[in-house]
Amino acid sequence: MFFDLWWLLKSAIKPSFEIIVLWIVFYQILVFFEGTRAFHVLKGIIYLLLAFLASQLLGFDTLNWLLTKFFGISIIALLVIFQQELRQGLARLGQQHLFNPILEEAEMVALIEEMTAAIYKLSRKKNGCLMAIERETKLKTYIESGLLLDSKVSSEMLQSIFNATSPLHDGGVVIRGERIVAAACLFPLSENPNFSKIVGTRHRAALGLTEQTDAIVIMVSEETCEVSVAVEGRFLPVVNEERLVSILKDLLITVNPKKKK
Amino acid sequence: MKNWFTHNLALKLIALGLAVFTWIYVNGELMK
Repeated sequence: MFFDLWWLLKSAIKPSFEIIVLWIVFYQILVFFEGTRAFHVLKGIIYLLLAFLASQLLGFDTLNWLLTKFFGISIIALLVIFQQELRQGLARLGQQHLFNPILEEAEMVALIEEMTAAIYKLSRKKNGCLMAIERETKLKTYIESGLLLDSKVSSEMLQSIFNATSPLHDGGVVIRGERIVAAACLFPLSENPNFSKIVGTRHRAALGLTEQTDAIVIMVSEETCEVSVAVEGRFLPVVNEERLVSILKDLLITVNPKKKK
Repeated sequence: MKNWFTHNLALKLIALGLAVFTWIYVNGELMK
């Protein structure tokens, strides 16, 4: 009886452990490629893999033969296509957390207060700024266009970055969790024809990024010193500091419905 | 850390599907 139970446990634990290891590996690969152009290539490979497995299960010999040959050759092609990503991946191995950070409500409030303080101080000093807060869609492509920082978000740090004499003040910063991941990043410009032609590049970049991703972009206009928040390809009116805090809380905290009672 | 399971759920499910599929396939090959 005891040996039966032990055998049953052993035969269940081993496959479960193997599947969990495979799950973590696959998840890490998907997270790594998410938000990059290589993700589409990866999706194509997954479809082909599914076709290959289906052809084996259903006994389609011709299709199976073709796909087997194709996968044999494609290993070399993949090494060439993903050369850059593989190099970056190996360099980052061991540095990355297993899963992305998710902030508690108190941490998020502290983060919003730091950002708001920085934004209004910059606005009073007539310094422009552009900050993107990453949400579900990864901003890896835009992070790579700037300078990697990995610094904790603080009002002083943001003010230093957007100081007019700082070499990093052109372009935008990307905030992930409570870290400033990169500065001087280039965001895509909006090509919305309804948008006034006289509006500056910073506005267009703020809108452009929110049209293509679910990020929240906060900006200060260098000319008018006005603060704006862009989300989903449109600007939300910001009249004062309290309003900015309330908008950011709505967008960043109430996303989790379980927390809101 | 909150909502560990629901964060990036789609990717987690795809990864789980791939893991199970791969395990079954490889196991089947090894059994031959």
